[in-house]
Amino acid sequence: MSEDHHFLVQQIAKGDKQALAALYRAYERPCYKFIVSRLNDPHEAADILHEVFMDIWRVAASFEGRSQVRTWIFGIAYRKVIDVHRKRGRVTVTDEVPETGDVAEAADAGYAAKQEAEHLAFCMGTLSDDHRSAVSLAFYEDMTCAEIAEIAGVPEGTIKSRLHHAKKLLLHCLSGRIKGRAVA
Amino acid sequence: MSRARDLIELDLPFHVNGTLDAEARAELDAWLETDELLRAEAASLAIIRDEMQAEEVRSPGEFGLARLMRDVGREGAGGGAVQAPSRTWIWQAAAAVAVIGFLAQAVLMRDQAAPQGYELASAGVPGALVVAFAPLATEESIRGLLVGQGLEIVAGPSALGLYRLDVIEGGDLEAASAALRAAADIVESVENAEN
Repeated sequence: MSEDHHFLVQQIAKGDKQALAALYRAYERPCYKFIVSRLNDPHEAADILHEVFMDIWRVAASFEGRSQVRTWIFGIAYRKVIDVHRKRGRVTVTDEVPETGDVAEAADAGYAAKQEAEHLAFCMGTLSDDHRSAVSLAFYEDMTCAEIAEIAGVPEGTIKSRLHHAKKLLLHCLSGRIKGRAVA
Repeated sequence: MSRARDLIELDLPFHVNGTLDAEARAELDAWLETDELLRAEAASLAIIRDEMQAEEVRSPGEFGLARLMRDVGREGAGGGAVQAPSRTWIWQAAAAVAVIGFLAQAVLMRDQAAPQGYELASAGVPGALVVAFAPLATEESIRGLLVGQGLEIVAGPSALGLYRLDVIEGGDLEAASAALRAAADIVESVENAEN
């Protein structure tokens, strides 16, 4: 599969639109899911997805094949969304892990969240873009730590740290929302 | 258990998504057997991952591909950066391109002697209705209206932004036409086509 996608990129570099269409069909959905998870705006996410594949069309010749096609594409998407956040002047939403609360209790609350997709979506929305990106790539895409680090352009240890904090924040948020609903 | 717990814990997400190598996985498995809190966290992360993977996302799909092919074609022909038109126009154009592509394919399959390529889309100017969509109508609202009335875009947009519609086989053209006229927030004008 990976070799096929390398071949597609080589063909795109030669101006093959059908190869671009094939690559689009292979990555459009996961890439869009990744983008929309960070923007919370499906229309803007569609525009960014379009820009990602336009960039692929323009710069395919520069792809040297040292990384996987998937990480290359997600890397482009990653940077595009950062640009959007910069233009928006977005402030990091949450970076501090709350000291209060019992992690074990929060973990139990996570079980109760099984059918609570809306709670999860809300809590994902409270994370900073760095945290959200790491969670999306780890859990939507099942990427390795090395792949996520390559996409984000940071050391693997940073990704592990981001995921660790994101996990605490998510469990804490889920715990609070589920408790709140139970009380109400 | 050669690593400390706090280091092991950092691998938990990758244990959950199944990307840890065998050695790290075995090490974490050993911790999970004895550490109840770690087990609870792993279970919670697994639920979060399952929830995220089950999440339905409506991606642009073939509409997005039509838009991409159009802009790539423009860039190839004219060179330079492509200006992004308004979103509504993009969706309408993309929808038209996608439907035309589908129609062309269907005609090819039905009539092997038919000429190939773009000639099919323009030959004979198909469509029973000529409509203009409201500038602020969304792709979703347009699609909902057309699907609900058994209509499809068979040509357009023209230079004036007009689309030609036809009823899908067995559809009621008069009823569909009336429904379009009633949806003033989506459709600006409806006329019967003069072929």
